[in-house]
Amino acid sequence: MSTLEQKPARAEGRKDPWSQMLEKVGKNQDRQAYHALFEHFGPQIKYYAMANGLASHAEELVQEVFVSIWRRSCLYDWRKAAASTWIFTIARNQRIDMLRKMKRTSAEMQVETEDLWQIPGDNEDEPVTSLHRLMSERRIRESLSHLPEEQITVIAKVYMENKSHQMVADELDIPLGTVKSRVRLALNKLKVILQDQNV
Amino acid sequence: MTRHHPDSLTLMEYSAGNLTEPHALCIRLHLDQCPHCCSRVDTLDSLGAVMMEHQPKADVSESMFDRILSRIDSDVEKNDVVRRDVHRMSPLQKLLGEDLDSLPWKRQLGDVSVLDISERFPGQSEQVVLQKLAAGGKAPAHTHRGEETTIVLQGAFADQKGVFNQWDFVVLNDQDEHKPVAVGCEDCITLSVLSAPVKLTGTFTRMLNPFIR
Ligand SMILES: [Zn+2]
Repeated sequence: MSTLEQKPARAEGRKDPWSQMLEKVGKNQDRQAYHALFEHFGPQIKYYAMANGLASHAEELVQEVFVSIWRRSCLYDWRKAAASTWIFTIARNQRIDMLRKMKRTSAEMQVETEDLWQIPGDNEDEPVTSLHRLMSERRIRESLSHLPEEQITVIAKVYMENKSHQMVADELDIPLGTVKSRVRLALNKLKVILQDQNV
Repeated sequence: MTRHHPDSLTLMEYSAGNLTEPHALCIRLHLDQCPHCCSRVDTLDSLGAVMMEHQPKADVSESMFDRILSRIDSDVEKNDVVRRDVHRMSPLQKLLGEDLDSLPWKRQLGDVSVLDISERFPGQSEQVVLQKLAAGGKAPAHTHRGEETTIVLQGAFADQKGVFNQWDFVVLNDQDEHKPVAVGCEDCITLSVLSAPVKLTGTFTRMLNPFIR
């Protein structure tokens, strides 16, 4: 894994096609690229909204996410996140924002959603250091295919249905400890936990 | 550099967007000062992207794309107007202003002052509390009911588990009993999110954590 990470990944060819398209939107307001992104990510985001209880607002969420992608595309930096990761964080934030706004007035929101949940690349001070950001999606995709289904199920519920570990335990009727150990095993494979030990 | 980090499961709940606002604030404040955890969250955000890709897809119509185009066409904000100025100010400053010392602290016991800021998070059931332990001061021994997440905003405190410096992140539960002491020459200020009221074990009745666990 570490040998993979050490390889320079600067070559254009390493950039995945979606990241290249997102850059075109950011640099040239390329509407063809924007449309391609919509066709690829729109259905994913709509399902995401439906899975986490925003079914009656699913199309609204997709629209908000895409308007946000357009407005922010000039800030996108492929060295800081792959397009799919960047778009996931925007979808996540728009979902949180939508739920927050349903519950209260904007005057009550002293802290904005993006003060709490950042989009990769928003922080200019953050150095463009690690190539592992680029590698991480590829690595996760590969590792995920080796994970047992029961681990993937738990992670999917956390990310897609926005259930806490406790809620997942209740739903699957298994102890909380079992849920946590499945997640730990998975994160271990994905090297999130290994990173804990390198502190 | 901080030494005490959130665990991976908590960071995953954060990345998934499942944490409450006060809990997310604690994580955000830590991330702002911890490149190590930032890179863990980057990995977790990528996991989110891959999970989203693995799920079924729901059809979107071409007319929806037309509606999006008409929104961006009527957009008064130009593409490049979206800048990062909004994010310049830390969420802590937005909530509490520049000077933590000038807040309306309430003296509790000799060395401990507290300020309940729960009402800044409308609609959340958790109690959100700032605590200040005077430099060199000691807090009485205590335990907690439920779980308490704490981040050190200023100074440092020590207990039998170690020293907790600025931006260190610590989670305590009813198993933990301690007697924290503010170390260094600064008052130690912490932000804590409590999932349940503090258990009152000793003679001190209204005490809060992390100085009172
Ligand atoms: Zn950390």
